[in-house]
Amino acid sequence: MSLLSVRNLSHTYPNGYKALDDISFSVEPGEFLVIIGLSGSGKSTLLRCLNRLIEPTHGTITMNGQDVTHVSDAALRSHRAGIGMIFQHFNLIPRHSVVKNVLYGTLGSTPTLASILGRFSSEQHQRAMEALDVVGIAEKADVRADALSGGQQQRVAIARALMQNPNLLLADEPVASLDPATSHSVMDYLERINKDLGTTVICNLHFLSLVRRYATRVIALKGGRMVFDGQPIEITDAWFRTIYGEEAMEVEIR
Amino acid sequence: MKRLFAIILDAILGSAVTSMILLIIVPELTGLSVAPLLVIPATIAWIAAATFGGASIGQLFVSSKTERPLPNGLRSHMGWIAFCSSIVAGWIVTDISPIEFFSGEGLKGAGRIFGALFTPEFDVLGAALDAMVVTVFTALMATIVAVPMSFVLSFAAARNVMTGGTHERVFYVLLRALLNIMRSMEPIIWAIIFSVWVGIGPFAGMLALVVHTIASLTKQYSEQIEDVNHGPLEAVSATGAKRLQVLWFAIVPQCVIPFLSFTIYRWDINVRMATIIGFVGGGGIGTLLTQYQGLAKYNEVGTLVILITLVVWMLDVISARVREALR
Repeated sequence: MSLLSVRNLSHTYPNGYKALDDISFSVEPGEFLVIIGLSGSGKSTLLRCLNRLIEPTHGTITMNGQDVTHVSDAALRSHRAGIGMIFQHFNLIPRHSVVKNVLYGTLGSTPTLASILGRFSSEQHQRAMEALDVVGIAEKADVRADALSGGQQQRVAIARALMQNPNLLLADEPVASLDPATSHSVMDYLERINKDLGTTVICNLHFLSLVRRYATRVIALKGGRMVFDGQPIEITDAWFRTIYGEEAMEVEIR
Repeated sequence: MKRLFAIILDAILGSAVTSMILLIIVPELTGLSVAPLLVIPATIAWIAAATFGGASIGQLFVSSKTERPLPNGLRSHMGWIAFCSSIVAGWIVTDISPIEFFSGEGLKGAGRIFGALFTPEFDVLGAALDAMVVTVFTALMATIVAVPMSFVLSFAAARNVMTGGTHERVFYVLLRALLNIMRSMEPIIWAIIFSVWVGIGPFAGMLALVVHTIASLTKQYSEQIEDVNHGPLEAVSATGAKRLQVLWFAIVPQCVIPFLSFTIYRWDINVRMATIIGFVGGGGIGTLLTQYQGLAKYNEVGTLVILITLVVWMLDVISARVREALR
């Protein structure tokens, strides 16, 4: 059974802009799926529809056989809790310490009052340290998040996502604000999580060199429609021009 | 209809100008009860000008530029005429009188009160300090009571928080309207209301300040909330957090410092307001000041004024320093 199945998904913004138009695809457990396309092609909207940070206008999303498009608040929260997400701008709480930021990954399963009073269990603390260990920055646990470099912040964000024990990890252009060397380091952590922990990853990327290096499968969006679904190796020059336009030239990140 | 509106406007503005000119030429008219009667001939003259001469100030407001560009001559100067006539009308209704300002008797009075203010009677210093303490604490208590309420309300008054559907939208709009009304009513009016409600004294003053502080702080807080970076909100929501958790973990950390800064500044403002509120029964140094002023004991008033100035200045400096450090 597919982990995730998207059927006829569309999203139209209140201003009438159709960001997604009739998207259908399935994701198998363990895949490293990369979504490519120009800025504004709908990649971010698609990712946010999957955990319903953005409400789909039409279509259904099924996860583990359960339709999550039309569910109550509580079911939506538990759906979200099972999906980790990392962002282009990391989206940490800047004034709080690294370990606190990681603990916030457990908010979905922590009672409101306990979390507001800062009462996270020792088991949660221990798991937070383990998650920081996975991304190699356990020694920064008590440093303020905004004192870290971009690459370090993104690793903290990955650790936060790991706290959710996610079946699925969404990454919205995780390396778009990072330098090339750091980009590879962050992508390597995502790959390790995908291979070692078996977490399915769906990732938006810009650079085809990264796509070829990390993806097990690629979906391309253009103007809100899906125009390609296949292996990274199948993206020929012809496909590249179809996806990015006739004028486009490939820029590499090594 | 437009034409009529134009004529009415002309009449009002024109009569103001005419009256003014007359009053400048013949200043003695100011004191006479016949002065308002001057408005009548002025009005007639301006209606005539507007109707037959096409010299209309009103048309400046009722016809758009693209519709009919203003021709040269008098009409092109209508804006200036409107501006000048407003100054003139203002001069008259404010009873501005250089004669009074520089009259021998007036200057003597000014000399008397300044003399008294600058030779303060320090016997009242003890009572004044007591009253000042009351005023500062009235302001402090008002701020402390208002802050938690403002904190809670500010979320409901923030557009980016109230996104949960029509009923939240309605609540948001109603709350905003209520806060605007509360803020539009000056604390001195609230002080009058509360001095009837709970009796004259610092408690009435505090309540008045609480109302005004809630309205002002909620507005400032909520604008800060509307300004937060949306990223952490998405990130915390994506973990499956409940709404309260999203507010607490994604919004509050981004707002704490500005909130503190607003609050300290509000306390500073409240000390000044508490002084004024004392005039109408809000207790503290303001009440003491009106008492001595009523008895025409200007040497004592001088002491109070010096003390108020000192305290306000000190608080101003301290709050500016603290806010600077918080940044």
